[in-house]
Amino acid sequence: MSTKGTNNKVGSVMVVGAGVAGIQASLDMANAGYYVHLVDSSSSVGGLMAQLDKTFPTNDCAMCVISPFLVEVGRHLNINIIPNSELESLEGEAGAFTAKLKNNPRYIDSVKCTACGQCRQVCPVTAVNEFDCRLDLRKATFIKFPQAVPLSYTIDKNVCIGCGMCEKACLAGAISYSDQARFSEIKVGAVVLAMGNELFDPSLFDTYAYSRHPNVVTSLEFERILSASGPYKGHLMRPYDREVPQKIAWLQCIGSRDINHADHSYCSSVCCMYSIKQSMIAKEHAETPLDAAIFYMDMRTHGKEFERYRERAEKGSGVRFIRSRVHTVEPLDDGGLKLKYIPESGEVLEEVFDMVVLAAGFATSKDTKALAQRLGINLNAHSYAQTSDLTPVSTSREGVFVCGTFQSPKDIPQSVMEASAAAAGATQNLSEQRWSLTLTKELPAEKNFSEEEPKIGVFVCNCGINIGGVADVPAVREYAKTLPNVIHAEDNLFTCSQDTQENIKKIILEKGINRVVVASCSPRTHEPLFQETIREIGLNPYLFEMANIRDQNTWVHMKTPQRATDKAKDLVRMAVAKAALLESLPQVTLDVTQAVLVVGGGVAGLEAALGVARQGFVAFLVERSNELGGMALGLNATWQGEPVLPYVMQLIEDAKKNERIKIFLETEVGHVTGTIGNFTTTLKSANNPLDTKVINHGAAILATGGKEYKPHEYFYGKNPKILTHFDLDAAVRNNDKALKDSKIAVFIQCVGSRTEERAYCSRVCCIHSIKSALILKKLNPEMQIFIIYRDIRTYGLREDLYKEARQQGIRFIRYNKDNPPVIDSDNGQELKLTVKDHILQRPIEMNPDLVVLAAAILPNENKTLFEHFKVPANSDGFLVEAHAKLRPVDFASEGLFLAGIAHYPKSIDESIAQAKAAVSRAMRIVSKNTIAVDSVIASVNPDRCAACLTCVRTCPYNVPRVGEEGYAIIEPSDCHGCGCCVSECPGKAITLKHFTDDQINAKTDALFYIEASC
Amino acid sequence: MNDSYKPKILAFLCNWCSYAGADLAGVSRIQYPPFIRVVRVMCSGRVDPLFIVNALKEGFDGVLVSGCHIGDCHYLEGNKYTVKRMEILAQLLDLSGIGRKRVHLRWASAAEAKPFADNVIEVSNIIKEAGPFNAKDHEMALNALTRALSTTRLRWLVGIDRHLTENENVYHEKTDPILFEKVKNDAITAEYQKALIQEALSKGPVTVREMADQTGIAIYTVSKRLNELELGGMADLKSCEGNTPRFASPV
Repeated sequence: MSTKGTNNKVGSVMVVGAGVAGIQASLDMANAGYYVHLVDSSSSVGGLMAQLDKTFPTNDCAMCVISPFLVEVGRHLNINIIPNSELESLEGEAGAFTAKLKNNPRYIDSVKCTACGQCRQVCPVTAVNEFDCRLDLRKATFIKFPQAVPLSYTIDKNVCIGCGMCEKACLAGAISYSDQARFSEIKVGAVVLAMGNELFDPSLFDTYAYSRHPNVVTSLEFERILSASGPYKGHLMRPYDREVPQKIAWLQCIGSRDINHADHSYCSSVCCMYSIKQSMIAKEHAETPLDAAIFYMDMRTHGKEFERYRERAEKGSGVRFIRSRVHTVEPLDDGGLKLKYIPESGEVLEEVFDMVVLAAGFATSKDTKALAQRLGINLNAHSYAQTSDLTPVSTSREGVFVCGTFQSPKDIPQSVMEASAAAAGATQNLSEQRWSLTLTKELPAEKNFSEEEPKIGVFVCNCGINIGGVADVPAVREYAKTLPNVIHAEDNLFTCSQDTQENIKKIILEKGINRVVVASCSPRTHEPLFQETIREIGLNPYLFEMANIRDQNTWVHMKTPQRATDKAKDLVRMAVAKAALLESLPQVTLDVTQAVLVVGGGVAGLEAALGVARQGFVAFLVERSNELGGMALGLNATWQGEPVLPYVMQLIEDAKKNERIKIFLETEVGHVTGTIGNFTTTLKSANNPLDTKVINHGAAILATGGKEYKPHEYFYGKNPKILTHFDLDAAVRNNDKALKDSKIAVFIQCVGSRTEERAYCSRVCCIHSIKSALILKKLNPEMQIFIIYRDIRTYGLREDLYKEARQQGIRFIRYNKDNPPVIDSDNGQELKLTVKDHILQRPIEMNPDLVVLAAAILPNENKTLFEHFKVPANSDGFLVEAHAKLRPVDFASEGLFLAGIAHYPKSIDESIAQAKAAVSRAMRIVSKNTIAVDSVIASVNPDRCAACLTCVRTCPYNVPRVGEEGYAIIEPSDCHGCGCCVSECPGKAITLKHFTDDQINAKTDALFYIEASC
Repeated sequence: MNDSYKPKILAFLCNWCSYAGADLAGVSRIQYPPFIRVVRVMCSGRVDPLFIVNALKEGFDGVLVSGCHIGDCHYLEGNKYTVKRMEILAQLLDLSGIGRKRVHLRWASAAEAKPFADNVIEVSNIIKEAGPFNAKDHEMALNALTRALSTTRLRWLVGIDRHLTENENVYHEKTDPILFEKVKNDAITAEYQKALIQEALSKGPVTVREMADQTGIAIYTVSKRLNELELGGMADLKSCEGNTPRFASPV
């Protein structure tokens, strides 16, 4: 079928849903040669993450992390953001779909709107503010949040009375009441569904008093309460009376793992972690000690660095973890909330809290279900997109891919990985159309002003009345004319408007202006726009400087107009002073070697190599052992029961057959040089170090895998009845008769995980044990099976397995870290196991015929390899990604990526997703012939460099090196441009372009400079 | 009620109908109680609700507004605006606890001497029944009424509904009267409650509970209105004593 339309394939992709997953998928594809239509039903991009205060486990500010992504997606030439729109239907087939969209009206023209906010000020209609989770109000004219992209207001027609006030207030003339819903058709080659999810609505539960009492809030409401941009400006207060809470309780599993009320049997996977995060952040906010208690069933901290995070919360911050499901929340007259619960000790306890946070889980929205039906996408029993473990981002419809929480409940890094994976999947069959629909900007050659005196033009913005209504803009303009080197100054109603941009270009040409200063809003939002404008007429974009006289002046000094005017003059004078010293920075491009090195021949490595090859590029696949397949060769089935071995065999066969894949078995990486786009790596034979080969590649993916821990606990290896998961899988494969004959089988969890020595959770063992237990039960339904565990971590939809196990009569006995089960094997082959039962509160004894140890997953030891690539590993030996949240597949060093268990223990579907993600990330580099290098970088003056290594030590990215040349070398393509080394350099040998000492000092000097010329 | 009590009633009469009707009552020697003091306006539509609040502040016990019958307005539709304004004022007076019984709207044409006198008698009796109005007892409420009635939001909404629900709004549609009513009622309640809270805030740092005590508004409602004020830059968190934050108007 797919051969039919081969020639008609379309080189563009539609992404539905512009949350963090949709944004990631869009950026990956747009940067790898495809035109992207990014559709969202809301008025701006950002999704759920934009509402979060902080993110676990690093406690980074969510908005600070996501907003650069929002800006990038908003300004991308090859991403067409289509807000306020619904995908109505999708016709055609993979490679050539026709998507029909309904574009709902905004009533405010996002091109003209400057987001000045005057319309909001005058609007007489209030409505609940969904962005702040209904904790406060917004107007009918609104913008979701201040950093929204598109940065434009919209009218909520549902509540608008049509009074016309906003039109009168809008000086930009952006209001357009005549907007109508439009229908459009777009041809795309593939579709990525990233609609995300909504939160479960706890008003279903009467017992938690959510709908009756304002001090019972959902976790997302609590995020808004903690947020500095939230309803209480980040002051921790409870809604009812604004008292500062002294005691807060978090109730876990609200709408998750609950079939009684919620009808959601699955685990939402993220709530344990966000509750721990919220409890810690709340404690940080509180000036007096805050008592934080988390009521939970199983603490599911199964992700990277999560277990340590939990430890820190308990031991460092003193968060109370209470294993109990609270059955009633009773509001008291003073705003307090009485909780009744039964802890493990069995008695009924009551405790009064000032506030209760309900850790609400995920739920698929009605709209999403309806969309899935329109598109013909199968949903599973939980209303998530149905996927196979072996093709985790493919939906039931060819050419339609899925990522993020529409696939299953998951956290941000997992969503981001899948987003990249879906991007790789969506583009895999479109590679012949790569770059066919992307746009490029034709720019005139840059003019050389290096011989000319600075001729500065200053453009002062009124921003409607946002600046001009406070500061005396004409006075600022006239003042600017008196400043040195200024040959032209004018003021505009809106400097950013389309017509003003054209006018600026005209004036620059007429007057021969060679440095431009705009005094208006923030460079954070508008600098790229103005830089683009001046570049269009041949000015280097770095011959531009901004004075922030709105966000940091008139908006914050509204009541002191004279001072605001004076400050605006100061800011303009400083900008002009720097402008005089600005220099053109050339745009450097480097050629790219369009090939990828993949290290590690397991599932992740094979998927990565095949992914690269299918995208049309050469992959070098290096494996140090003598066979491909890795750890997966020892596994029987995925968690959903899909057989692993045939899949791995197929992968190996495909890899061997693919002419773009060069396989190097029994080979190790020797030496690596070069930077993003151009690495040179020496490969050497594992058997003969002198047998070497040199390869060139533009990127590298490290998929070096892991292994099962060989326990020294519980007589492992000394008694044939004691196995690990891999041993058991092998026994099952070999139809070992001993299995079927076993009367009592016991699984012991956390063997070698969550210990002092190895503080992390191995993530996969609970699932592996339960899955194996179910297989044993099938072999012998009479078998008594016990799983002795600390917390059952069947995260996400895997909770199904746990439910089934309990239904099948598999018994679960919990133990504490300090009180593990004991095996006595002195009695010959007879095993005696003793464990304290958590319900009976007394030891029980059994004589198992089979003991399965859920042994930890360890990373493979690759110290030398990691040193060759200069990539970091954490204390557990797992590789460290560039950013725990939004760059889970990248290394901090550009051009290097990671996938699979080398990153953290994970299941096969997650390894496959990460491998595909790594391919997608690598495509950003190797799909191009050349790569542009950032211009704001540090450069070394060799004459002044004493090779003291200060810069080498200072650089956060380990970029500088002192080579044979005898002075420090900073690769332009690696430098991130922070300037730390510049400030540290004892010999002042390093310069950061565009932020030179002279330029920065000029600004300070200008503040105190009294001009004599006027 | 004590017969010796003589209420002070301010009457706004429109020039063309009610004022003429009052004159005719005089010409006709129709007798009515001597409690009203008349202010002549060209149209009842000239009566700003703020005038009425001001009259109550200054010591009047009640206010009568009288104009032409609907349909007879000398200025075509001026009195229709009067109706809208008086409705909003009545709602606000109820909210404030002063009650709508203090303020009355009646119609009397230039020919209706008797009906005019009857209206005065009726209104006088109601006000007499209500007893003396002590502005001191309602100082906070009266200040809040002034504040609320001065907001652009309320003033903009007064009377515009006729344009939006009967003619057409900016979308060339008729606004759903139920929606408009809801928006208007929300605005009346919100602006009055915000105004009361602002009164409390203007007297220095106060807690939410103190504001609730002073204003008679429920604690949680204070908390929510306070939030609206904070977003509009009309209230700030000032300090925190123990666990109890104090708020005040910005300096």
